[in-house]
Amino acid sequence: MSRTQATDFSEAGHLPKVGDEGSADPAGLPRQRRGTTPQMHGRYPDFDVMQELDHWDERTRELIVSRVEAVPQRTFFTEQEFATLTALADLVLAQDREPRVPALAFVDAKLESGRGDGYRYDDMPDDRETWRTVARGLDEAAGEPFAEAPVELRERVVGALADGSLSGGAWAEVNVTRAYGIVMRDLLEAFYSHPWAWNEIGFGGPAYPRGYQALGVDRHEPWEGREAFELDPVRDVKERGLE
Amino acid sequence: MNRSHLLLDPHRRGVPGLARMRRYRDDDAVDMAIVGCGAGGGVLAQRLARAGWRVVVLERGPFWDPDRDWVSDEAGSSHLYWNDTRIIAGEDPVEMGKNNSGLGVGGSMVHFAGYTPRFHPSDFATRSVDGVGADWPIDYADLRAHYTVLERELPVAGQRWPWGDPHGYPHAPHPVCGAAERAWEGARACGVTMRVGPVSITNGPFGNRPHCIYRGFCLQGCKVNAKASPLVTHVPDAIEQGAEVRADSMVVGLETDGGGAVSGVRYLRDGTERLQRAHAVAVCGYSIESPRLLLHSGIGNDHDQVGRYIMVQGAPQIAGRFPELLRMYKAPPPEISSEQFYETDPDRGFARGFSIQTVSPLPIGWAEHVLADGHRGPALREYMRDYNHWSVLGALCELLPRAENRVTLAGETDRFGMPLARFSYTRGENDRANIAYAKRVINQIWQAAGAQDILTIDRYAHLVGGCRMGTDPETSVVDADHRVWGVPNVFVCDGSVMPTQGSANPALTIMALAARLAERLAARRISDARRRAA
Ligand SMILES: Cc1cc2nc3c(=O)[nH]c(=O)nc-3n(C[C@H](O)[C@H](O)[C@H](O)COP(=O)(O)OP(=O)(O)OC[C@H]3O[C@@H](n4cnc5c(N)ncnc54)[C@H](O)[C@@H]3O)c2cc1C
Ligand code: SF4
Repeated sequence: MSRTQATDFSEAGHLPKVGDEGSADPAGLPRQRRGTTPQMHGRYPDFDVMQELDHWDERTRELIVSRVEAVPQRTFFTEQEFATLTALADLVLAQDREPRVPALAFVDAKLESGRGDGYRYDDMPDDRETWRTVARGLDEAAGEPFAEAPVELRERVVGALADGSLSGGAWAEVNVTRAYGIVMRDLLEAFYSHPWAWNEIGFGGPAYPRGYQALGVDRHEPWEGREAFELDPVRDVKERGLE
Repeated sequence: MNRSHLLLDPHRRGVPGLARMRRYRDDDAVDMAIVGCGAGGGVLAQRLARAGWRVVVLERGPFWDPDRDWVSDEAGSSHLYWNDTRIIAGEDPVEMGKNNSGLGVGGSMVHFAGYTPRFHPSDFATRSVDGVGADWPIDYADLRAHYTVLERELPVAGQRWPWGDPHGYPHAPHPVCGAAERAWEGARACGVTMRVGPVSITNGPFGNRPHCIYRGFCLQGCKVNAKASPLVTHVPDAIEQGAEVRADSMVVGLETDGGGAVSGVRYLRDGTERLQRAHAVAVCGYSIESPRLLLHSGIGNDHDQVGRYIMVQGAPQIAGRFPELLRMYKAPPPEISSEQFYETDPDRGFARGFSIQTVSPLPIGWAEHVLADGHRGPALREYMRDYNHWSVLGALCELLPRAENRVTLAGETDRFGMPLARFSYTRGENDRANIAYAKRVINQIWQAAGAQDILTIDRYAHLVGGCRMGTDPETSVVDADHRVWGVPNVFVCDGSVMPTQGSANPALTIMALAARLAERLAARRISDARRRAA
């Protein structure tokens, strides 16, 4: 993780499966200049989807604005579960510093609402119970509160969760691989429904009633974000006062 | 004749005239009570109402108003899916929810992608032609004219179609986005023919339905009314012709009259159970709910056939990475497709085939794709930041029907007091070989296109079967006229009647089956059956 982020994204060397040393360090990206991205990595440093909200229909606007402004209070998880699962979420979403998308808070609200996803594996409890079991299992596997364990230990435990090799105790109650999938998909839905994440990946966000006109390779609407490499690095450094 | 596109309002998206909709009393025995207002139920209601039948549709979900109820957002669209728990089992359990079934007026087509290919003539006779699957009791010629009419009603846009029974489309092909351009180049370079479409998305105004605005949220419900679903294509006309579409009404049982026929449907509305009387009932709840309702009502299962032979399509998706910005979130996800590999080719070593289509996931869908390729933490975030450089192709592989792939009733009940459906699914050898081959072809396309990296997710799409049609009560649930064997006045008219599924998306064929059934009922004045039952 020592390489800096490639600035020419027409190459693919920054990608985990292509680069020699895994994925490049996002710290090499410019800092986000308009709006917010999680951890302020600026792959599209001047794109802020929230500047577009006047172009969205009212229902959608209310919903997206509330995601940013009205973060749900913890109601479903206990304080300890929440601490453990926050540590898990930070690791699997690579949120090592502020600003963070409060993904777990949205998962808490979803579980509290009781809305399911339409299915349950016959060898699994319901998702609410699965989440609690994962919290308990992480503390057990770490041998101490997971959130307080050294980061190397936390990473080892999460690796074993992802490859399904955790066993015993809480993990005997669930199919570990499926539990990992359930937890990840809830977290990813929460994370990538947040406009800060859209800023980071250059997604245009809600598009009704305006729609799109510029379809095609390397074409963009005037308001869509440009990637960092389209910027002049010298000017960029000057503007950010990094000289 | 269908005036739906003219009856809609040019400025508002909701179906006009609901206040004037005809209402039937529960004890007023209607000619046909239809359970479910999706692809099958919606078309059946419109056609029967046109033929003068007194029709009530009971739909478990809401009467959607796109302006009021839908948003331009992935996570905010979960209320469009059938989210009640189904238990999934077997060696290859199939995940339910957003991926395969919806609710509310319009059914699953409200959030379907929009591909509307026909089935091939061979799909109706895979047993005789290829020695696998099952023959249908009807053939392509029975549906041909209905396909043509429905393609005008939806309407379907696309290039002239060279596969199956070659045909053209009423609307011109849509422009495609950068992601589809790259996929198309790759396909050309390795000898795979692709065509734009066929999609049921307006290209140009159509009555009071506007042109598509290329916003890319087809799987979240089209707020524009450009994409077809029965809500905009058939329900307005059905209502104008005197049908009642009664939303928020969950049917929990069919009521028998003691003499082997059915006298109505029991349903829950506003927390109370009611009984709608009817001379005939059509169950159109889709491949899980229709068998569940029949099993729970104890109807049609003398030969242990209800719920069997449920099929999905193998639907792996493979993404290719390119130097340029492609921004796959723009334009509808369904853009170009190929049916070059649809038919059996003995050289491939398995029976039947697959189709290839662009899919273009939005960010949450893309995150699931990256996760499935085995990434988390910094690697996952990096692939996500790279979103705009990717293009995604999916296969739809025909998986063969198997008796043991079935819906049964579980011990637990839901909040309506109905037993949960338990759906068990296991693939066979031919299925695995088909999926593996399709993935190789898509990988070749990406290599030929010069993709710099590739990410893969294995998944399934589309449910059909569970109440299949046939010629014999010992191996099927309904006859060629969709009538449940042994019951004079119960019909099943949705995706569950399909004995095979081809590698085409099913919605257009479900609609064509409904149109055909309505034509036959109207012609024979099934009121015979209703008089007998009365
Ligand atoms: C994400 C996604 C993408 C898809 N993409 C495509 C595509 O591109 N092309 C394609 O052809 N197909 C696609 N499909 C599949 C297609 O939408 C379905 O095959 C089709 O809509 C099924 O039609 P149906 O009439 O059998 O059921 P549905 O359209 O699902 O209708 C069934 C209706 O019955 C109601 N119902 C069920 N039980 C009851 C009850 N007990 N009481 C009252 N009401 C009840 C339901 O609420 C629902 O509205 C897609 C599906 C999904 C989910
Ligand atoms: S892309 Fe077109 S069809 Fe799809 S949701 Fe948008 S306007 Fe509707």
